Amino acid sequence: MDISVTGPKVYVRIEWLYQKFAGTMVDMFGNLGNLVTQTTVSIFLVTIMLMILGWVASRNLTKRPGRLQVITEKLITMLYGLVEGTMGKHNSHFTPYIGTLFLTSIFGSLIGTTAIFRSTTADLSVTLAWALVTSGMVWYNNIKNFGFVAWLKGFTEPVVVMTPMNIVGEIAQPLSMAFRHFGNVAGGSVLTTLIYAALAVASKALFSWLPAMVLELFPPLLQAGIPAFLSLYFDFFSAFVQAFVFCLLTMVYVAGACPSPEELAEAKSEE
Amino acid sequence: MKVVFDAFESFVGVNVWTMLFAWCNLLIIYLFLKKILFVPVKNMIDSRQKEVDDMYSSAESAEADAKAMKAEYEEKLSKANEESEEILRTAQRRALLKEEEILKEASQEAQRIRDRADEEIVLEKQRMLGEIKDEVSGMAIDIASAVIGREVKPSEHEKLIDDMIDELGGK
Repeated sequence: MDISVTGPKVYVRIEWLYQKFAGTMVDMFGNLGNLVTQTTVSIFLVTIMLMILGWVASRNLTKRPGRLQVITEKLITMLYGLVEGTMGKHNSHFTPYIGTLFLTSIFGSLIGTTAIFRSTTADLSVTLAWALVTSGMVWYNNIKNFGFVAWLKGFTEPVVVMTPMNIVGEIAQPLSMAFRHFGNVAGGSVLTTLIYAALAVASKALFSWLPAMVLELFPPLLQAGIPAFLSLYFDFFSAFVQAFVFCLLTMVYVAGACPSPEELAEAKSEE
Repeated sequence: MKVVFDAFESFVGVNVWTMLFAWCNLLIIYLFLKKILFVPVKNMIDSRQKEVDDMYSSAESAEADAKAMKAEYEEKLSKANEESEEILRTAQRRALLKEEEILKEASQEAQRIRDRADEEIVLEKQRMLGEIKDEVSGMAIDIASAVIGREVKPSEHEKLIDDMIDELGGK
């Protein structure tokens, strides 16, 4: 029995680019020639699913809501409450993005439970892309609210010696976010795979008294049931928690760059 | 470009194409959900909230109006009560005055009638007395004439006769 832990399958490849990078340093992280992978397919599926979901949930909005609209409104009210509670009332306009990020993340993680498609978040490219969006938002808002010079000056605080540390911290921020999300989901799937394989071995050992011919056809009985409980944690719970953590971190970082008008005036007067 | 079946990416790797797809799709989902879900639902919630608030405030103002109106009516009612009492009191007082006046008038009238009657009685008495005096004097003259045997002329003896009568009457 051999277990292989691999990245997403490659479906479409640009041959000349692949040939050019094969065997170089770049190939270690992901060859530029690999155009369409398993993750890409999952991303498109998630996009379509969320569009349908959004369309269904917001159909026939009325002043006197039906059951579906009540649920939708409740969830969206909760989301606005969460964002306003974490980022402040003046940052309420970030809610659609946070909601999108949360839904995309949780759907991206859960699509892996189909066993046909791979979780989008089990690919570092995806989580890194999202984390870079967060960093971009932080940088953009910092420069917009405090000015470019003040933003650069922020790296030399509290003392000039700290500048390299601050720069490393700035780079580590998206990386840690990306690796946290990726590691939890991918690690979960790896663990599930390992346990699945182990259960097959255990199953075979348990029924080793059967004749060899029967054993060949006999299903690994232990594989039924037990992985479901693990899946509850590694797939469903972890997907929810990681989506939540990712959104929370995004909120906290972006909120730091978007102070309320009073706080901004205070910060400006201190200079 | 070539479709492949047996190749895998590295487990921990960054594929720029996948990142690009992730960004594009995140943007598409964001714009789509914002347009169709978040903003309309939020607006719906807010507008309903506003409507409810308006309803409550209008109900409150209506209640306040009703209370003010009630107070006004109560005031009017009590004023009307007072007025009616006042009218009643005035009427009573006037009636009392009228009664007194009538009674006084009546008693005055009665007094007057009595006075006149008294006067009349006195006059009549005097008249009667005069008549009686005349009669008596006539009779006295007649008697005296008869006694004396000659005619007594009233014109001559009137003084004498009257004195006599007065003397008799005084006794």
